[in-house]
Amino acid sequence: MNGPSRRVRILVTAIAAVLLAAVATTAVVVGRQNAEPAGGSARGRAGTAADPVAGAAADVHFPPGTRLDALSNGLLSTVSLTDPAGPRTVTTRRCDRAYTAGGTTSCLTPAGALSAPELLVLDKESKVRHSIDLTGLPNRTRVSPDGSKVAWTLFVGGDSYAGGGFSTRTGILDVRSGQRIDSLEEFAYFRDGRRHRAVDINVWGVTFAADPNRFYATVSSKGVRSLVQGDLAAKTLRALADNVECPSLSPDGTRIAFKEAIGADPAKGWRLTVLDLATLRRTRSAEARSVDDQPAWLDDRNLAYGLQRPDGTNDVWTTRADGTGKPAVLVAGANSPAVLPAGS
Amino acid sequence: MPSRRTASMAAVGVLASAALAAGALTVLAPSAAAAGVTFTPTADTYVDATYTTTNFGSSQQLGVDNSPVKQTMMKFAVSGLTQPVTKATLRVHVDDVSGAESSNGGTFRAMSDTTWSETSVTYNNRPAIDGATLGSLGSVARNSWYEIDVTSYVTGNGSFGIGVTSSSTNGADYDSRETGTTAPQLVVETGSGPTPTPSPTNTTTPPTGDPVLVGAGDIAVTGTGDTATAKLLDGIPGTVFTTGDNAYPDGTASDFNTYYEPTWGRHKARTRPAPGNHDYHTSGASGYYNYFGANAGPAGRGYYSYDLGNWHVVSLNSETGMAAGSAQEQWLRADLAASNKPCTVAYWHKPRWTSSSSHAGDPATGPLVKALYDYNAEVILTGHNHQYERFAPQNPSGQLDTARGLRQFVAGMGGASLYGFGTIQPNSEARNNNTFGVLKLTLHDNSYDWAFVPEAGKTYNDSGTGTCH
Repeated sequence: MNGPSRRVRILVTAIAAVLLAAVATTAVVVGRQNAEPAGGSARGRAGTAADPVAGAAADVHFPPGTRLDALSNGLLSTVSLTDPAGPRTVTTRRCDRAYTAGGTTSCLTPAGALSAPELLVLDKESKVRHSIDLTGLPNRTRVSPDGSKVAWTLFVGGDSYAGGGFSTRTGILDVRSGQRIDSLEEFAYFRDGRRHRAVDINVWGVTFAADPNRFYATVSSKGVRSLVQGDLAAKTLRALADNVECPSLSPDGTRIAFKEAIGADPAKGWRLTVLDLATLRRTRSAEARSVDDQPAWLDDRNLAYGLQRPDGTNDVWTTRADGTGKPAVLVAGANSPAVLPAGS
Repeated sequence: MPSRRTASMAAVGVLASAALAAGALTVLAPSAAAAGVTFTPTADTYVDATYTTTNFGSSQQLGVDNSPVKQTMMKFAVSGLTQPVTKATLRVHVDDVSGAESSNGGTFRAMSDTTWSETSVTYNNRPAIDGATLGSLGSVARNSWYEIDVTSYVTGNGSFGIGVTSSSTNGADYDSRETGTTAPQLVVETGSGPTPTPSPTNTTTPPTGDPVLVGAGDIAVTGTGDTATAKLLDGIPGTVFTTGDNAYPDGTASDFNTYYEPTWGRHKARTRPAPGNHDYHTSGASGYYNYFGANAGPAGRGYYSYDLGNWHVVSLNSETGMAAGSAQEQWLRADLAASNKPCTVAYWHKPRWTSSSSHAGDPATGPLVKALYDYNAEVILTGHNHQYERFAPQNPSGQLDTARGLRQFVAGMGGASLYGFGTIQPNSEARNNNTFGVLKLTLHDNSYDWAFVPEAGKTYNDSGTGTCH
């Protein structure tokens, strides 16, 4: 018989159409997955996952046209979320971490032997609108829902959140004006309403609200890691809760998904948890393995996050935000997920 | 070992093997004595010239066709064999769907690149199907098994890539590993009897008595990883190497006495170490040189060499000058020039190549790699990143070089807590970061066997054979 068998032909045609459309209009995302040195026992042992090739498919459903941007071994890629095990489009853009929202893609490029990493900001046509030289090991990046702000975090000392010996630098770029804040450590940090001054402050893992002046992030000082609410115009960070790292705001703005250090000791690993911002009540997800990632929301009910197999292959997993259900692989061989709603 | 299924599988032989094979195999006929181990691919996919930027890695199918062009690629990690290979057979199953059958099942060839990523290969970035032709299939029928004799290629433990192309406009579709029960299979039979074509590369059982070089880096800590790896050394005779960061956190005399001495210290008399950056946290690495004494070479210098059987062994120091023209690089070139051994292995701390998310590969080690390449050395052992990784033989530019390349290992799984991986780098053939262990090299007259030996209770292994240049 000539050509592909029918099931494949139909599939490919449909998906290719979706993906080609997607690629024409969007860029991709995220980067260095859970490969961040999770350190200690968390990294090498408890946190690893088996090859999911024969695993059960994730029981999540999306409107036709919904896509996921992710990295396929470091290459920006797009997968249809109505067929996440189907063909994916793979670009030549290389990132350690990436994210897409509101028509803007941020890409933290790998550090080369002789070159520093860069932040690339891409538009819907995948054209580079900004490129900023950075220092350190790329770690997190996010884009505001309206695509107007990009945040990044790099390790500038150490390479893991697990120990006490690391240092991070986190900045924010206004995509339209080109203005940027090189380090959120310049912002005034308030705990319990009082200004907290310390030389050991580290900030990482920004997530933006629908109003991009407001954001959330992690601040660490004196051994305490806290969720802060940030105000870009006022240049302030206000602590909301302790033992919250790498926050990710739900699309409806009511909850924060994050990694919670077991026993407040990152050396023991992290649990994927959801915090209700109104009540500060915490709900642990059904994911029992250590997750060292800034999670993403697929919609208001489902989370996506990266886990690494012992051979270094990453997979995007999903689990429900309300703690029910069972984690499942969403996209094999990928990390740094960002959902692209239908029509975006 | 998700990809490996052990079965006492009957062999093969029923079906036509290589060449224009033949009939469908729907039932495996049990045969007498052969002991077979079945491996499924660690990755398989196909590319399609019509969709040049599309990846099909998660598909349940593997297509081959010439119009439009479709090519299939799969790779296998063969390990754990302890006897010579007597027969190796690739089995592929035609998909049970209309159109999967074909008058031409395609041509199966070896591939030198076994390090592509299943979910990022596209037609545009596809690896070359560049190796020897292993066999071809004629007419293939829907929902049937076919076999290709790959004994000439799969001669022992190691990484093997197989690509399939078709010169016909009548394409065939096979089942991929994602199907589970009808995934491609590599059935490897072994036996202790005479092998058909004995040669160093198809002998996985070393003659007894060849020297053994065994060890790891990133070793002694407060945890128990070093205790587990020291126990492995208890059962493995030979020379012990280290690839640096022997005693955490700072390589002080106290660190060596408190952490190293109770574990790896009991093998000190047969240990030839190399220093790491943590050993140099103590000024001049005096804790390291004082602890190992003459076994570490001239005090304070950190590089020296010795011979084991037919092998020249060089311990180097990535914590001091390595530039072309530096004292160390000039010493190395002179040392290699003076060696009369046909095979050479070198070891030091910081890797030239790594897929770790922690420390990038260190280009400063390049001149040492270049000198070793210029003198036709075989193997480089490193640490620094707390994990295990094996690269295919590469030239100093990091390109695959099966003729003269150096095979570099990262053996940083000696005991310190393990690190994550980032983007998998080109030519990386094997990786693990959930198992402490030691790397054992058996040094034959004109070849070597490598084996990752896991801590008690763990199953990860990786083994294979390389030849001297």
